Amino acid sequence: MTNSSPGAAGPVAGADGHPGEDLLASYAAGTAGTVTVWSVEAHLTGCARCRSALSAHVDAERLAHNRSVLLVRAAIGDGSRVRRVLRRCGLPDHVLGLLAATPSLRRSWLLSVMGVLAVVAGEAAAVRYGWITAGSPGIIHGYPGQNLAPFLLVGPLLVLAGVAAAFLPMFDPACRLAAAAPFSGFALLLARSVSALTAALVPVAAAAFLLPGPGWLPVALLLPSLALSAFALAAATVLPPRAAAVTAGALWAVPVLLLAATHVPLVIVQWHAQSACAAVLIASAVVLFLRRDRFELGWMR
Amino acid sequence: MRPEAGERDDAALLRAVARGDEDALTALYDRHAGWLTVRLTRRCAMPDVVDHAVQDTFLAVWREAGAYRGGGDVAAFIWGIGVRRLIDAIRRDNGSRWRLPWRAAEPEAVVSAEDQVLVGIEHGRLGQALAELSPELRGAIEATVLDGLTCAEAAVLLGVAEGTVKSRCHRARVALRAALAEQQAGPDTKAHRREAWGTS
Amino acid sequence: MDEMTRSVRTAAVRVDGLSRRYGATRALDEVDLTLERGITGLLGPNGAGKTTLLSILATVSEPDAGRVLVFGLDPREAAERVEIRRRLGYLPQELGYHRHFTVAGFLDYVAILKEITGRRRRAEEVARVLAAIGLERRARTRIRALSGGMRQRLGIAQALLGQPDLLILDEPTAGLDPEQRLRFRELLSDLPGDPVIVLSTHQADDIAAICPQVVVLLQGRLHFAGTPSDLAATAAGRVWAADQRETRAHLSWRGGDSRWRHIGDHPPAGAELVTPTVEDGYLLLSHASGAR
Repeated sequence: MTNSSPGAAGPVAGADGHPGEDLLASYAAGTAGTVTVWSVEAHLTGCARCRSALSAHVDAERLAHNRSVLLVRAAIGDGSRVRRVLRRCGLPDHVLGLLAATPSLRRSWLLSVMGVLAVVAGEAAAVRYGWITAGSPGIIHGYPGQNLAPFLLVGPLLVLAGVAAAFLPMFDPACRLAAAAPFSGFALLLARSVSALTAALVPVAAAAFLLPGPGWLPVALLLPSLALSAFALAAATVLPPRAAAVTAGALWAVPVLLLAATHVPLVIVQWHAQSACAAVLIASAVVLFLRRDRFELGWMR
Repeated sequence: MRPEAGERDDAALLRAVARGDEDALTALYDRHAGWLTVRLTRRCAMPDVVDHAVQDTFLAVWREAGAYRGGGDVAAFIWGIGVRRLIDAIRRDNGSRWRLPWRAAEPEAVVSAEDQVLVGIEHGRLGQALAELSPELRGAIEATVLDGLTCAEAAVLLGVAEGTVKSRCHRARVALRAALAEQQAGPDTKAHRREAWGTS
Repeated sequence: MDEMTRSVRTAAVRVDGLSRRYGATRALDEVDLTLERGITGLLGPNGAGKTTLLSILATVSEPDAGRVLVFGLDPREAAERVEIRRRLGYLPQELGYHRHFTVAGFLDYVAILKEITGRRRRAEEVARVLAAIGLERRARTRIRALSGGMRQRLGIAQALLGQPDLLILDEPTAGLDPEQRLRFRELLSDLPGDPVIVLSTHQADDIAAICPQVVVLLQGRLHFAGTPSDLAATAAGRVWAADQRETRAHLSWRGGDSRWRHIGDHPPAGAELVTPTVEDGYLLLSHASGAR
């Protein structure tokens, strides 16, 4: 097993101390013996001159290619902290990349949502605790649940707005590119809508939880929010997208305002209202699924 | 070696990278990617895997330049990242994991005696002892001692089980001690000692 | 099998009787067209239907009537439509992008839409197209900070992702200076895989410089299909120069040499006929169709 190559005896430190061109070339080519390689590598660790001499033996195109890919990856980056966390949890990176472009998932949007909620919830709390009196004449001050009317109006509408921002072409400047691309339009829409829904539900539910009112209010708002969003999406397969979003909004706002005006705002927490929402949700989901091809064609005119 | 006048040294470049200077990253790449590629190729012969490792290394440098505390050579810092990225790249690679066969069985390329002298590392007795090890044992020593890998990492690199790495390291140490002692004692005890090595 | 049948059989893109209207306007009127590998220019004034035609070819819009076949695939079938899109690169007239995107981030996004799922593969593709259009140094720049010409090049770059077999470019030379147009022309002729390229423009000199094939679209109808020199030849004998302006010409303008150039059906006897350019042929056609 003896390696009888000449270098095995151990080279002695020479006057100059650097490996010559031939030695570097044989190291780069992989033809140098093990002990020589170790010597060279130990030397390289401390010698910048020999390191750059060695670089000349590597294919320049290969180095250039790796450099350009490196710089692109550095430029693209890893995304926001949320994205890194979600990626670590196992969500596929390409889906996260598509979601990152959704307006209703961006910090500015979410901050606005929280701002609106703060205003509405603040007003509800203020009325409840008697700090201010409820505004319009004709509404009986102190009627149970009256103070919650603005919140009930606004909460699900905020969720709907988030979902609308996920599918309305006006919120996706690159929609023409997406339309001409093979990635499934429906899958994209669904991913965005579900994420926007979740992102909007969290602050709404939290605000509902913190509000002085029936304890089950957050849960009671869940079904209407889901139903509204599903309805808007399903309507978008029939109507133009903007009309679909507006219709869905009106279908919530009008009854809520009417109920508030007739002093029965908390109907929503009752059994029959919740069932109606569930029915709308299921019907919309079915329509959406059956007509999902509409999202594959270039459906913006 | 002193850098050329007007050029920043590696530590300065690394500090600039930590501040987000992309040109500094490019300069660092231009200086170090060449030797890193060669050195990694020596451990893993698949060029795609090595390319990925090199890219990942400098990406890691880009992200973690702040972790470099200024002690120690920048080249060693880069190598430490590089060899671990190579291990990751090998793990990710689904194809067969193989590396360069040890070339000890082949005659060494003819290099002038002068060059051998000029490499400048005192190997002497240790060098001869190392050269007398079998390729597998040498690989284990290289991975754990020279490259500073853990046994688990070395196992990925060498394509064997972790236990195999540990036993090879042990046998290598035994063989080295024997070889060094025998060098002191003299060549006539060589035949007697060889049995202790056994087959790898 | 005669020549025409053979060429129709092997055509990469075939359009039959395509019609589309927006309200009362006929954007496209019974257009028949075949496209081969190589560059075809779509020439016509604004509003002639070029964008409509290109968006139908890009499977982004649907026609009201007629058929399209791209590599033998019919975009009305869902599965075939996706397959067309896999082989497609499209630059729309208005390149939309999210405000916060950097150049590299935007290209990464489009690469995901083109189903390039691995991060490393995407980075390699992005690096490749950035090098092709010369924006490597701008990878980290925000798009809104780019000049118009750079944005246009970025638009071309995203169309090149994935090495498409069909490249549809709507007004790609708008906003490019002459040197950039030259590089654009070289870029198009160097593309790997010899794709079908169709680009639209309202400038005839783009056609002359870039496209071996040209199609003229006026008011939604196809008025010419052939080579640029054939288009120029349609005006043979009908273009003349003079020192004074003449009223009997259809069109007259002062040329670069400060002489008047005229296009008309009946040049006066003894008029100094000049060799017609592509633009002359185009102008004659559009005048004849009543477009101007």
